Amino acid sequence: MQIDPFQVLADPTRRRIIAALRGGEQQVGDVVEKAGVRQSGVSRHLRILSESGFVTMRPLGQKRLYALRSEPFREVDAWLTEYRTLWVARLDRFGMALEKRQQKARQSTKRKNQA
Amino acid sequence: MSKDMRRADTKIVIERSYRANLKDVWSLWTTKDGFESWWGPQGFRADVHEIDPRVGGILRYDMVADTAEMIAAMKQMGEPASTAIRSRFSEVKAHSRLVLTSMIDFLPGVDPYESNIAVDFFAEGDHVRMRVALDPMHSDEFTKMSVAGFTSQLTKLDQRFV
Repeated sequence: MQIDPFQVLADPTRRRIIAALRGGEQQVGDVVEKAGVRQSGVSRHLRILSESGFVTMRPLGQKRLYALRSEPFREVDAWLTEYRTLWVARLDRFGMALEKRQQKARQSTKRKNQA
Repeated sequence: MSKDMRRADTKIVIERSYRANLKDVWSLWTTKDGFESWWGPQGFRADVHEIDPRVGGILRYDMVADTAEMIAAMKQMGEPASTAIRSRFSEVKAHSRLVLTSMIDFLPGVDPYESNIAVDFFAEGDHVRMRVALDPMHSDEFTKMSVAGFTSQLTKLDQRFV
């Protein structure tokens, strides 16, 4: 099953790791220091982030360098835009429904006053 | 899923101001005909079976494909044209704040979790400002649509009609 990017981002530790990688490629040790998370935790979360496509790893000699990939972030962004669009349209309809309701109320008041 | 993963602390917040009174704005969220008059979403209508705006009260409705295009789209995807949705009012402060909570328990491989739509109402002169805070992706009807894979189609429809 494809890993849901929102589930990946829902974890605060993973968000801290992502924030630590914003400055560019880093080794695990640097991520541990910046994110303030134990090495075992960082390794586990880096694995999840790699599997879900948020992070890539390239070996350089003895080192393993981790970096962010932009694609899943774009996907999340597109998703949020879509969700927002749905709600913007929904609240437009809310406004129209409200207007109709008020018109109806005005008409019934008018009728009552005329009666 | 760990407990942390269930907590979505990123919210989408949308604010609108309507020239109206609090009572009318409130009733669009808390009465059958009010809720049905706007909820949609585009291409769908909501048939409300139960709406009980008290703390712990239930909101139960069917989201029914309501346009020829949407009915065709649902059929093409092998999805039913009607989906039953159940939420509860987890916070209710008349004319001031309400929170609708849904249980997301239909995603394969994902433990059930709750999601919220929180709405605050502010009277400002002859207007009402309404602030809607959403757990992104976590409203049940939208998640369902997303699982069914037709949200982009929905967006297109929305753009056509707006």
